[in-house]
Amino acid sequence: MIRAIIIDDERLARNELKKLLLDFPEIEVIAEAANAAEGIERIDSLNPDLIFLDIQMPGKTGFDMLSELERAPNVIFTTAYDEYALKAFEVNALDYLLKPVEPKRLADALQKLQLEEDKEPLSDHPISINRSILNEHDQVFVKDGERCWFVKLSDIRLFESVGNYAKVYFGPNKPLILKSLNALEERLDEKVFFRANRKHIVNLRLIEKIEPYFNGGLLLEMKGGEKIEVSRRQTVKFKEMMSL
Amino acid sequence: MMVTVLTGILVTHVFREVIRRSGWALLSVEKALPKFLIGIVLVCITDGLIRIGLADALNLASHYKTEFMPRLLTVTADTGVMIVPWTLIYYLYHYIQISSKQQLDTFKLEALVKELELKTIKAHINPHFIFNALNSIRALIDENPARARTAITELSNILRSSMQAEKLETVTFEKELNIVKDYLALEHIRFEDRLQVEYEIDEDTLDQPIPPMMLQTLVENAIKHGISRQVEGGKVRIVSDFKDDYHELVILNTGVLNGNRNSDGFGLASTKNRLQLLFGQKANFDIREVNDNTVEARVLIPVDMSK
Repeated sequence: MIRAIIIDDERLARNELKKLLLDFPEIEVIAEAANAAEGIERIDSLNPDLIFLDIQMPGKTGFDMLSELERAPNVIFTTAYDEYALKAFEVNALDYLLKPVEPKRLADALQKLQLEEDKEPLSDHPISINRSILNEHDQVFVKDGERCWFVKLSDIRLFESVGNYAKVYFGPNKPLILKSLNALEERLDEKVFFRANRKHIVNLRLIEKIEPYFNGGLLLEMKGGEKIEVSRRQTVKFKEMMSL
Repeated sequence: MMVTVLTGILVTHVFREVIRRSGWALLSVEKALPKFLIGIVLVCITDGLIRIGLADALNLASHYKTEFMPRLLTVTADTGVMIVPWTLIYYLYHYIQISSKQQLDTFKLEALVKELELKTIKAHINPHFIFNALNSIRALIDENPARARTAITELSNILRSSMQAEKLETVTFEKELNIVKDYLALEHIRFEDRLQVEYEIDEDTLDQPIPPMMLQTLVENAIKHGISRQVEGGKVRIVSDFKDDYHELVILNTGVLNGNRNSDGFGLASTKNRLQLLFGQKANFDIREVNDNTVEARVLIPVDMSK
């Protein structure tokens, strides 16, 4: 059973989608929300498997809402106009549906979701007792100006502190997010993400090379070519972790 | 005497060829004047020399027997008296002919630009609105079939009039208002309690001419940038009355003006242009924040008293 939330500012649009979803018994609509604030609240409290998200809503857009979530659920965007649809593609969302929704397109989108699940079944994710810790299968939504991405934490090789922001390195991109490195460190799985020094958190699985450095420190070369120094104090911890 | 006329015809003919080939008549007066002056002097001297030469050869000027230079001067001046008026007339004639043709071309171009501009402005209905409306209507078909049916009529009216707008320069305010009422009725289906609408219409303004789809565009903006951004929704108020010699249209909506109007300001920037193209420079359009959380768009169209 897939537990879904519909987020759309129009009651009739929500009703229409609910009606269409009646043909798909594997989808259970557990809640609705009429704006981004309500959406965040429902997502945080109900932890759905899937959200249907309207992009243009009063107050905050769907993209704004996603970038405020700690972890991004599976998202199918719904929009009346394809101006944003292309953007949704860029952000590698599961899929997008144009309103009025064609039942066939909805079926395709849900099938795509099923395939994603088969690749990485939800039940396989180690369910951490503490939901506030993000594991590497979790994805986050990153918005930098007009560009947006869904990123799996396992694809992020480096977080770099830039003032109040953190620069997130993945693939060829390095957008900024409004989060401090300390706040991130608290939420990230320490088995995977390691605080190398005051300014950097690295993904231990995406290290290319390790070299000795001055003062008994270490120099890490990441898969993307970035060179990160491990402070002396952290080097001890790093060696302990790697020897396990 | 015969010699004078013949040489005159000969040198002016050559001069005319020179003027034509070098296109002096196309130049502005300031640029053409020195060229013509030099040309005239050269022509007069040439003509003088030819005349003296001919006179000497034919021995017609035996009674003169004066020095060469004073003789040349006299003959040149004599030629000048004929050549200067000839050149002036020639130049003026061509100047007037060419510039009036240019003016005509400019007028034609301006008319074309105006027509194109109006077309671009008119052909502007938001597809987003159409698809949202269709989506609401689909949901209504089960929930409220009667409302769904009227909604389809309303949508047809809007689509039809937006198509007809291509053909017309102006429509009566009444006709436009009916479209706007249909439009707002449809948006009300979408926004439900989040949209309230108020009208304050002076009935005498109903037959005033306005550009087709103008009010519609402004109301659409009021919804798009105003109401749809308010979590709690808001109010759209449409006022139409006479003020002095103007027909005044005011659209008020809940919301704030967004700083960068360029990004989606197509409707706003073009509205003023369009008004002034149709009703002259006295027509006006402006948009501003009037007080806390209200935006006012105001259109002034001078009333044509002769109608």
